[in-house]
Amino acid sequence: MAKKGTVTELSSLFPAEEAQKASRRVQDEIAERRRQLDQLQGFLDDNSNLINLVWKLPDETHHNIMVPFGKAAFFPGRMTNPNKFLVLLGESYFAERSAKQTVEILERRSNTLETQIDSLNAIIDDLKLEASFFDNTARESAEGLVEIREDYIEEVPSGTSPNSGKKSDSVPLLEVDNGKAAIEDEEYAHIFSRMTELEKEEEEAEEANGSDQDEQIQNEQDQSVGRDSTDQEVRNIPIVTREAPVISKEGASHGDYHPHSSAVVKKDFKLPQEEKIGSPLPASNTVKKDFELPQDEKIGSPLPARNTVKKDFELPQDEKIGSPLPASNTAFTGSIVEHAHNIGMHAPQQQARGSKPVSRFKMQRK
Amino acid sequence: MDSEPPENVKRLEEFLEERLKPKLLDAIAQRDKVFEKQKIFSDLRRNIENLEKNTVTSMRTLVNLGSEVYTEADAPDTRYIFVEVGFGFYVQLTWSEALNHIAAREKLLSRKIEDYTRIVATIKAEIGLILEGIKELLKRSH
Repeated sequence: MAKKGTVTELSSLFPAEEAQKASRRVQDEIAERRRQLDQLQGFLDDNSNLINLVWKLPDETHHNIMVPFGKAAFFPGRMTNPNKFLVLLGESYFAERSAKQTVEILERRSNTLETQIDSLNAIIDDLKLEASFFDNTARESAEGLVEIREDYIEEVPSGTSPNSGKKSDSVPLLEVDNGKAAIEDEEYAHIFSRMTELEKEEEEAEEANGSDQDEQIQNEQDQSVGRDSTDQEVRNIPIVTREAPVISKEGASHGDYHPHSSAVVKKDFKLPQEEKIGSPLPASNTVKKDFELPQDEKIGSPLPARNTVKKDFELPQDEKIGSPLPASNTAFTGSIVEHAHNIGMHAPQQQARGSKPVSRFKMQRK
Repeated sequence: MDSEPPENVKRLEEFLEERLKPKLLDAIAQRDKVFEKQKIFSDLRRNIENLEKNTVTSMRTLVNLGSEVYTEADAPDTRYIFVEVGFGFYVQLTWSEALNHIAAREKLLSRKIEDYTRIVATIKAEIGLILEGIKELLKRSH
């Protein structure tokens, strides 16, 4: 652990002069934006003055004004119709508007100008932030700040055991560690369950491809059943796996962890119950129905289509599936239904497959 | 020696960049302003000549209120015209008087333009001189 980190001087990454230069450039940019902002502000002021003027002009029937004649001369004259204006719409098109309408147009112009000013202000704020960042960097690198980098090494849980000797003052630390470990275990269990799920799907897909009768109804049915079965397993796995590390830890280190562990144990006891009670999902119900179907065929299933399909391989099902069903409650049943026709070929494979995940769980448990 | 220019060359370059070039830009900007004024007065002269030719005594026109908003205006008597004489003062003049004034004004403006042109030319010559000097110095230092 001694020489894991690297130390780099900030000034070697960002020389002070360079940072200052960057900061100066940003400042220039800010000044430029400020100029734009002032210009826009000027337009806005002109516009609001004009709005006031246009608003007041129709108050009287005529105004005595100096009529400009070019830029350097004018005539004395008067405004003949103070409620009639020609407003530039753009591209040298003009519209004849009344005072009120003109004010509307001018107010719309004001709004556009205001949004422009707002966006410009936001840009200036951003640039200010940037400039302050560059300034800070320049100052820090001038001060000789160093950057220390060290690879993160995960703390091994066993490292906590020596601490457990002095129980009195290290309890909070331990608890924190345990919490972390529990989270890790949960994550691990989650990932593992996901993996097994995927594996199972893969295997089922392979088998589905291998089988001769790929009737659509059955495929769909199989997929839904398969999904259900994996779901069930996922639900079970976290409970099973969580128990193992916690208990081991308890045995390893300290006794004041009991409330949690007992809770875990309770969960454990509940587990078989859940397996029985938790299964009445609508989908898994259908699974059971499927199996009941061939056994007492005369009652008739709610799905006639399925019924007809199943009648074909009613016999083999009775023979071979009858036995694996009650033993493995984890609902591999769906796939068995599908491949019942040539089950003689697939039977050993299925058994192997059924045992495989279980052994993995056991592996994980140890 | 090649990498670092001699001290005097550096100073000359600095002078060129910091003093002469801004001066040149300034002179050109001022000359442009005078050009603008000359155009205003030549426009005014042409307009008054037009009025004279057509003997217009009253006029309807559009007044720009700013931001390209125009309103109608009426000038009932155009025989007298107010012409700017400088520093914001306007003098009421008849057409012929105005034309005389404008002619005098144009002459003055064209003289001003000549002055500025001369100034610009001098600055440009100075810049050329200094560039030549820098070239000479660099050649000698090699």
